Amino acid sequence: MSLFLTQLMNGIGNGAVYASLALALVLIFRTTGILNFSQGEMALYSTYLVWYFSNRGLPVWVAILLSMTLSFIGGAAIERIVIRPVERASPLVLVIVTIGMFLAINSIVQVQFGADAKHLTRAYPAHVWRPGNVQISADTLVLVGILILECLFLYLLLQRTKLGLGVRAAASNPESSRLLGVPVGRTLMFGWGLAAALGALAGSLAIPASQPALSAASMQSILVFSFAAAALGGFDSTIGAVVGGMIVGVAQTLTTQYIKALSDIVLVVPFGLILVVLMVRPQGLFGSRHVERV
Amino acid sequence: MNHIPLERSAASRWLRALALCTVVAVLAVACGGSRKTSSNPGTTTAGGGGGTTAPVVNTANCPAGNDTVGVSGDTITIGTSLPESGLYQAFTAILKGEKSYFEYMNAQGGVTVAGKKYKINLVDKDDAYDAAKTVTNVNSLINDTKVFSLFNVVGTKNNLAVRDLVNSQCVPDLLIASGAVQWGNTKFPWMLGSELVPYPDEMQTLVDYLKTTKPNAKIAVLKANDDFGQSYADTLKALIVGTNLKIVQTQGYDPETSEVKAQVTSLAATKADVFVLGGTLLACPNALNAMGDAGWKPIVYMSGTCVSKVLLGIAGKNANGIFSVTPLIDPSAPANDSNPAVATYKAQVKKYAKDADVSDGIVAYGWTTAALFAKILESSPKLTRSAVMETARTLTGVKGVGLQLPQSTWTTSAKDWFIGETFQLIKYDATAGHSVNVGPITDDNGKTAAISPKILLTQ
Repeated sequence: MSLFLTQLMNGIGNGAVYASLALALVLIFRTTGILNFSQGEMALYSTYLVWYFSNRGLPVWVAILLSMTLSFIGGAAIERIVIRPVERASPLVLVIVTIGMFLAINSIVQVQFGADAKHLTRAYPAHVWRPGNVQISADTLVLVGILILECLFLYLLLQRTKLGLGVRAAASNPESSRLLGVPVGRTLMFGWGLAAALGALAGSLAIPASQPALSAASMQSILVFSFAAAALGGFDSTIGAVVGGMIVGVAQTLTTQYIKALSDIVLVVPFGLILVVLMVRPQGLFGSRHVERV
Repeated sequence: MNHIPLERSAASRWLRALALCTVVAVLAVACGGSRKTSSNPGTTTAGGGGGTTAPVVNTANCPAGNDTVGVSGDTITIGTSLPESGLYQAFTAILKGEKSYFEYMNAQGGVTVAGKKYKINLVDKDDAYDAAKTVTNVNSLINDTKVFSLFNVVGTKNNLAVRDLVNSQCVPDLLIASGAVQWGNTKFPWMLGSELVPYPDEMQTLVDYLKTTKPNAKIAVLKANDDFGQSYADTLKALIVGTNLKIVQTQGYDPETSEVKAQVTSLAATKADVFVLGGTLLACPNALNAMGDAGWKPIVYMSGTCVSKVLLGIAGKNANGIFSVTPLIDPSAPANDSNPAVATYKAQVKKYAKDADVSDGIVAYGWTTAALFAKILESSPKLTRSAVMETARTLTGVKGVGLQLPQSTWTTSAKDWFIGETFQLIKYDATAGHSVNVGPITDDNGKTAAISPKILLTQ
């Protein structure tokens, strides 16, 4: 039983990593209707910034806040400079643009910071508790805690503030919003900036917790699982991203532990789940169904 | 609604069937063709050794006129493919060591082959550890760059992917950066592993150590889910037959992610006495940290490919006391700084690769492999692909190359297809930040084939 709970906690820890990046994906999808394939690499760049600042003597938490601020500005700038010119183009063009950014940012990281793996310190002391032989690490607690705070923040922002209302309005109907005086352009920039800042937080907490070192490839597998999480939960649902992330993370670790035949190919289980869910509910578990009047 | 008429639907079904047949036919022709081209002209005369002068590498069926490709004026162009991006990017450290050595040699006028001095030009291509990209890179190196030889191409699966190609073209695939025993397959004489310790020798050393220190040990194995990780799992399984050692659980991890926590948690729950870590690069410190988190304190044996100050530094105190093997002098131990070979290595790498960490065993490996390549060229009676390959296959008493252990001798022959069979068992001291030697050097010269699973030697 303690082994089951330990693996469950491992899975929740992984799930929190996937969910926190999936949240950034969902945020961009909700504000601009774009699947941002470069989300992981944007977070990677932000995480390198954390490494850069902390390596120059700043406390890690300060480095993270600084990186989040810069990422907010960078994310808004990307929307204005890269996305705005093609925002009315076909979805395929947008996909290609974000994949292009994926490759570009990854290369920039390697050129700017070098190809060597970097050691990124945790923002909190590493510790493992063992109540009744169940391992619970400080990483899991911090990641889950931050995830809950992020969800609360997003919920309050999007549902309870005028700014959030503007963001949702601009995403759902830019023309009418513009007529009603919502500054659509600035609102979209805000959405991208916010997603970049959330990604920065996710990356700088998740990488030291889940990987031994920071390298240019650090975010790639996380991005795949985050996409899986967002697809499973529904691309336009914050709660869906969290639940999706947890399902993918827990399915991975429990498969490793209990399904001997699949232990070499653990990805089969989460992806099998996604396939089944999407066949029954194409909009994902919590996604809203897209209805159009004919 | 438009209904498809029955006739049309039937016709389209026939059309589809016809298309399918055509595809099958084309594939059959293509496969037949590829089988024909992948026949290996260079089958060996192994067994015909014993002091005779019969060559190990038979060149009877090699394409005509390509024995001196890659030599132009006083330059020899050679090529390598390795991960310079992606998860396995840290192997770029190998390239830094190699390039430093070749630049150091070139600055002294180059290598002397059959009385003439040549400069070495190493062309590197990035494959991100993806075997499909290795094939593209190697094709391009052979056909476009027209390299004389491949050198230290990284990865077991990556070299297996170009095995037919290099053997049918008779291009030397020298000093492969993998300790897999597939390079001992006598059907493919144009490939030779580097001084990396063959994986069965690593496992044999561990088994011998356990037989005297913990003869009834229960062993848990973590392996990468590829040919590399499988080599460890298969050879260990074969080597414990007839002992009281027992493998209690084997877990695989996806080499694309290095994410191993769940696997290690599962292995830790077996409370095994020994943990064999058949992974590489970041998976190694990752697994050691997960082991520490689980409060599991087994005897740890870690793949020789992870022996690097950088990797072990990441694991910190969790790496304390782990065992591994190395064919090289440890560049991270301060006591070795007075060794002239280490001093030259450090001075030259600092000069030619400013961003390289000279105390990193992976850089030292690149340096030493380049030195061994130069040694092979200099020992060759003439500068042809076949002569160089033959020289590499008949090395006798090679000593003092790069950071080669002073007591070790590297030898190959018609019956011995492995170089890195003399090595040192080491134990890592996390406080000191370097490893210490355990017992004397192991000399398994000529024994690797006998302790390797037959399937790996012949498949």
